[in-house]
Amino acid sequence: MNNTVLWYATRGAGAVSLVLLSAVVVLGILSVLRVQTTGWPRFLTVGLHRNLALMTLVFLTLHIVTAVVDPFTHLGWLAAVVPFSSYYRTFWLGLGTIAFELLLAIVLTSLVRGFIGQAAWRLLHWLTYAAWPFAVLHGVGTGTDAWSAWLFTLQAFCVIAVLAAIGYRFMTGSRDPLADARSSFQGAVDRREPR
Amino acid sequence: MEIKDTTQERVRARDAAMRLLNRLTTGAAVSAVAGVALLGAFSAYTIPGTTSTTAGTSTTASSSSSTSTSSGLQSSTTPVTSSSSSGVAVSGGSR
Ligand code: HEM
Repeated sequence: MNNTVLWYATRGAGAVSLVLLSAVVVLGILSVLRVQTTGWPRFLTVGLHRNLALMTLVFLTLHIVTAVVDPFTHLGWLAAVVPFSSYYRTFWLGLGTIAFELLLAIVLTSLVRGFIGQAAWRLLHWLTYAAWPFAVLHGVGTGTDAWSAWLFTLQAFCVIAVLAAIGYRFMTGSRDPLADARSSFQGAVDRREPR
Repeated sequence: MEIKDTTQERVRARDAAMRLLNRLTTGAAVSAVAGVALLGAFSAYTIPGTTSTTAGTSTTASSSSSTSTSSGLQSSTTPVTSSSSSGVAVSGGSR
C-alpha cells in the first residue's frame, strides 16, 4: 500500500475517532441526566452511547494500525502499548497510548459489568473524564493537522460540546429521584455478591 | 381493553425506538467511514504527503535522503511529518 495513503488514513481515522469519542462522552452524560422525550426513550441514549463506544474502538484500531505500519515513522508496536516509549513525538504520542488503554479498560469492564459489580464499574467508568482530555491533547500535540482550519474547527467543536455537557451535568446534578435509594441498595447487593 | 391498548402502544413505541437506534448506528458507521476518507483527503490537501517543500520550513523526523535543487527547493521522497502551515510550498501546485 502507498505510504502516503497510510499516513492520510492515520490522520483521517484519528480525527474521526476524536469526534466519535466526544459523542460517546456527551451521550454518556445525557444518559446519566436521564434525558428523554416521547419519541426518544432513555434506552436510545444508552444504546447509542454503547454502540458508538464500540465503534470508537474500531476506528481507533484503524488509526493505530495505520500509524504503526506506516514505514515512515517506524513507530513499532511497543509505542502503541507502552506509553512514552516512542522515539517519535514521545510525550504527545504517549498521551494517545494512555487514552487508548483507558478506553479499552472502560469498554471491556462495561462488557463484563455483571461480573465486576456496579460500584467497581462506575469507578472505572469515571476514567472517561481522564481519557478524553488525554486524547484531545494527543491530537493537538501529535497531529500534523492540529492547527489547520479543518481539524482545529473539529477539535474546537468537540471540546465545546463535551465541556457544555459536563457543565450542564454538574449544574443540574442527578436527575434520578431515587438515586440515593438506588445506590445504597446496589451497595448492599454488591456487598452480598461473592467476589 | 385499555390496558392491552396501552401495552401495545408501548411495544410499538419500543419497536420504533429500536429501529431508530439501528438507523442511527448504521448512519454513524457510514458517516465515520466517509469521514475517514473525507478528512484523509482534507489532510492530503492541506499538507500533501509526497511533495517538494521549501528548505527550512519543514522538519522531517527521519534522515530521509533529500536533495537540494538549484531553485532552492528540497525534494523529499517521504511524507513531511510536521510543518508550519504557512511555509509549505508544492512545486508544480497551484498554491
Ligand atoms: C483515544 C485514543 C486516540 C485518539 C482519539 C487519537 C486521535 C488523534 C488525532 C485527532 C490526531 C491528529 C490527526 C491529524 O493531525 O490529522 C492523531 C494523530 C496521531 N496519532 Fe492518535 N489518537 C489516539 C491514540 C493513538 C495511539 C495509541 C497511537 C499510537 C500508535 C496514535 C498515533 C498517532 C500518530 C502517529 C499521529 C500523528 C499522525 C500525523 O503524522 O499527523 N494515536 N491522533
